[in-house]
Amino acid sequence: MRILSTFIVFLILVLHSCTKDSEIPNSWTYNPTPYLLEFPDEFPQMQIELANPLTVEGVQLGRRLYYDQLLHPAGMHACSECHLQQSSFSSSAEVLPHINLGWNSTFLWNGKISGTLEDIMQFEVDDFFHADMNRLEQDSLYPRLFFEAFGTETITSTYTARALAQFLRTVISSNARYDNVFLPGSGEFPTEEEQNGYDIFFSEKGDCFHCHGGILFTDNNFHNNGLDTQPSPIGRSAITGNPNDLGKFKSPTLRNIALTGPYMHDGRYTTLEEVIDFYSEGLKISPTIDPLMKQAHKGGIHLTGKEKSDLLAFLHTLTDTTFITNPAFNSPF
Amino acid sequence: MLRSTILLIFSLFLLTQCTKKDGSGTVTIQLDHSVAGNAFEVDQLKYACQAGHTYSIVNLKYYLSEIKLTDKHGQIISRGNIHLFDIQNPASASLNLDNIPDGDYTQLSFVFGLSEIQNVDGGLINTLENINMEWPIPGDQGYHYMKFEGRYDSLNTGIVRSFNIHTGATKGNQNYLEITLPIQTLILRDNNWTIHLQMDLNEWLQNPTTFDFVGHEAIMMDQSAQEIIKANGGTVFSIGSVKKT
Repeated sequence: MRILSTFIVFLILVLHSCTKDSEIPNSWTYNPTPYLLEFPDEFPQMQIELANPLTVEGVQLGRRLYYDQLLHPAGMHACSECHLQQSSFSSSAEVLPHINLGWNSTFLWNGKISGTLEDIMQFEVDDFFHADMNRLEQDSLYPRLFFEAFGTETITSTYTARALAQFLRTVISSNARYDNVFLPGSGEFPTEEEQNGYDIFFSEKGDCFHCHGGILFTDNNFHNNGLDTQPSPIGRSAITGNPNDLGKFKSPTLRNIALTGPYMHDGRYTTLEEVIDFYSEGLKISPTIDPLMKQAHKGGIHLTGKEKSDLLAFLHTLTDTTFITNPAFNSPF
Repeated sequence: MLRSTILLIFSLFLLTQCTKKDGSGTVTIQLDHSVAGNAFEVDQLKYACQAGHTYSIVNLKYYLSEIKLTDKHGQIISRGNIHLFDIQNPASASLNLDNIPDGDYTQLSFVFGLSEIQNVDGGLINTLENINMEWPIPGDQGYHYMKFEGRYDSLNTGIVRSFNIHTGATKGNQNYLEITLPIQTLILRDNNWTIHLQMDLNEWLQNPTTFDFVGHEAIMMDQSAQEIIKANGGTVFSIGSVKKT
């Protein structure tokens, strides 16, 4: 009996070794090249998971997966279908743009997922796409790409999520007109309209900056911005269960905001002009309205027509045309 | 032999004493918050202020900097901490002053907010938290010292409005506070201590001047309101317990 057991263990070991040798062709190499993330000094340091350092191979794999319908169990959809580069990786109200996500720690309009980019990508792979890893394993290319990126020929949803997270950490927008005309050093200057709009945006006149300020143009927090007298139950409160969170949704970044309409979590406003009108005259009071909406009792901040057009001109300075045409982010197919 | 043994023991004793003189410990500052002596609860419209309104506190963030301990000989120890308290981050309610040398400490002092050195654009480490505290008002620079936000029932009429007490430097005025508080003597001997620093939020709204939310919903560019808050800050802080931990 003991001899038989020993023989079986030995056989398993031999078979296991044979399998490994047969599945990893000699031409495959695992020698990943570190990927150096570049962004301006004004941006905060990005938190990168120790278990998932950026590599050229990992980023390329993530980009391919992002555009590949093979991730969908029926092969019908890809991430890029709803996240269009020309729309700053957005497409509709429900789809928050995939832009500068490396500085986020809560994801989706109500923060359903919190943690790292790996966490949200794991959710997207497993729970949103219900991705079938067998489809990737049976592909002629992916087993080698995963091996080159992660040193394993076994494709799991965890490695898939890691690759997507690596790609999305590189999807950085930091070269809008704003970055050139309002930050020192470029020698370029804003127009008078843009400067007036800047002054409204960054003062308590417009008071846009408390939720949409900083170099990322979002505070990454949740607010009831006065959309409804009956605050929505599908926002932050749906996650926390706290009635004080009714009507609260995540502040989206305003970088590339001119490209990401329609606006608000339910897409109720088609244009930026409508959004400015809302903040100017359309605010509605509710028990959970954010204290930052301090002019809500007057209906809004009451901008003149000129002030509205100046603010709009400023918002357009946040459009980064190099981002939406960057070949590093487009489809590899 | 006996003489050698005695000499050895005496030498060891001296060495032990030397080691003890180099002792140190951590002093933890625990930030406690109350409203007129009552426990502080977020988002509860139930507190009464001197101006006659019932109010709630929804958000609270502030910086403490230049935190110093002074011993009975007047020696000042600082660890250069710049601390951001955020009501949404419970871990931020305590901060550690590490490697504080043995001593008898009698005083805690700090800057509420940031002094001129740090309070410039880019003066703090570029973290997400610090970026969210920036003070981007055209013509000003630096960071919010405090975001104290809530709602108030105007003279208890049922009409609820918002207030934002945002303090910082404006129009060339620095507006930070220097706070010095005596503490029950903290005898640090190679051990750790906790000082409970208490902030009574209601005191921002009174003593010596009644702060009325009406007309002061937004005060970032209102230096006279900044001065009221700064003056009221003198009675906001007190020391609770000082305990060995």
